[in-house]
Amino acid sequence: MEQESEKYKKVLEILRNSQPVLDSTDDIENEVIKRISKINEPRPNLLNLIDFLFGWVYIGWVRNGLITASVILVMFFIWQQSIILKRIDLLSRQAIIENVETISNPASEVERGIMMYKLSGRRLPSRNLTISEKQMNQLLDSVNELQTKYKDLIKLIEDDPELKSSIEKKLKEHNQKKTKI
Amino acid sequence: MRTKSFKFIVSLIILLAVSCDEPETVVTNYVHPDGSVTRKIKMKSIDGDINKRFKKSDIQVPFDHTWTIRDSFELDKKGDTTWIKQAVKEFRNIDELNLAYKTDSGANRNFSRETGFKKRFRWFNTEFRFSERIDKELSFGYPVNRFLNREELLYFYSPESLKNDKENGADSLKYKALSDSVKHKTDNWTAKNLVSEWIGEFAKLTKDKADSGISLKYLKSREDEFVRIVEIDDKQLDSLWKNGIVLKEFVGEANALKFKSEADSALSLTTNKLLAEFHDYSVRIVMPGKLIGTNGFIDSSQVLLWPVKSDYFMTEPYEMWAESKVTNMWAWIASGLFLIFVLTGVIVRIIKKG
Repeated sequence: MEQESEKYKKVLEILRNSQPVLDSTDDIENEVIKRISKINEPRPNLLNLIDFLFGWVYIGWVRNGLITASVILVMFFIWQQSIILKRIDLLSRQAIIENVETISNPASEVERGIMMYKLSGRRLPSRNLTISEKQMNQLLDSVNELQTKYKDLIKLIEDDPELKSSIEKKLKEHNQKKTKI
Repeated sequence: MRTKSFKFIVSLIILLAVSCDEPETVVTNYVHPDGSVTRKIKMKSIDGDINKRFKKSDIQVPFDHTWTIRDSFELDKKGDTTWIKQAVKEFRNIDELNLAYKTDSGANRNFSRETGFKKRFRWFNTEFRFSERIDKELSFGYPVNRFLNREELLYFYSPESLKNDKENGADSLKYKALSDSVKHKTDNWTAKNLVSEWIGEFAKLTKDKADSGISLKYLKSREDEFVRIVEIDDKQLDSLWKNGIVLKEFVGEANALKFKSEADSALSLTTNKLLAEFHDYSVRIVMPGKLIGTNGFIDSSQVLLWPVKSDYFMTEPYEMWAESKVTNMWAWIASGLFLIFVLTGVIVRIIKKG
């Protein structure tokens, strides 16, 4: 302690002996008092908050890291939204079904079934069926016969435009009824 | 005209000859964000017999007494009655739904069907994918897209209501021609599948038999010839097959005699697969949030529709899928705040530096 006070006294003595030449000591004194009083003044809260929140901007790696993260986030957002918009656009181009009521088409299903049966050499699948092979063959022969007989009828219809349009109208009505069911 | 008349005749004959007990069924899956599914089945029948109507074994999808059921009926102008049964059940997750498919004793119990659900967190959105898949029937068939072009494929997979509207709408001639083209090409596709499947099965059955000289590659090289025979005349094919002429032509006389039973077994297997008794129905899916992708048909209220027919999964698995997204509002707000924070920090630094 004694050593320290000795040193302090020596420093004071040196400073006293080497005083600067001052022209306006009053001005200097005033300025010093003003600055000291300013340091002791309480700082506004907002500035404190800004310093607290944005202290990281002075730390290089944190600043760069956060800026990079922001850029990645923006790019990811743009990429994701563009993909979604593209997909939605594709969907909007798709045909919209007005009539959501589903209808079956037994005629085309049966026609297809008969075609497969024919292709497989008239073989019935090995499971319990309510119809025998003989009955199935009879049915097929009848269909073939009807097809042949109806050829003449269809030719007759094709040759008569009035009859053709009338039958087409009836068929259209028939299909519309089916849709309603 | 000719096709229409033929369809009408055939349907009339079949309707008179075969009594069809299966109801017209539409299955609607309401998918929830937590993966649970509310399934609603709407069945319509015109069968007047209460004992035959809505028999469990005739219904196309899993259904039992655990469902909440509501019965009603509709009367048309003529006084004909359509009976309606609506059933609803909550499935906690797709495992429960898949278990119902596995233990199904309904009309389509022999077909392997399963559902899938995926939920993916994508920060700004959460994406959902729901699918119903039916396994393919044939092991050696050809994909239908090798036979139909894009427009024809779209028509092929279209619901009957849409086909009907188009065939009776403004471009009726165009769509009738398209319909005929699809029919012609799918007939050829079926014939090719029949032959290809038979070849595959026959090659499998004879593979381990020593010195048979019948290889899959050899049989495949003569596939088109075989298809032409199949397509010519069914009666002729029947007699040619029974007399062993077809087999002799393709595998030689010695092999034809030696492998007659294998050839018949292969044909029987093929026939069973090709004429598998599948009862058609329709599937609808309602997804959570906004729809972003699907391979189904959409109505104006974003409800999706798929017809389910045996042709669709003959050679390839038939997957009906839909994808949707739900916006994560909290992620949007958090991201916005973060960007404002970083931007403000940068501005503060610039000001202080200045």
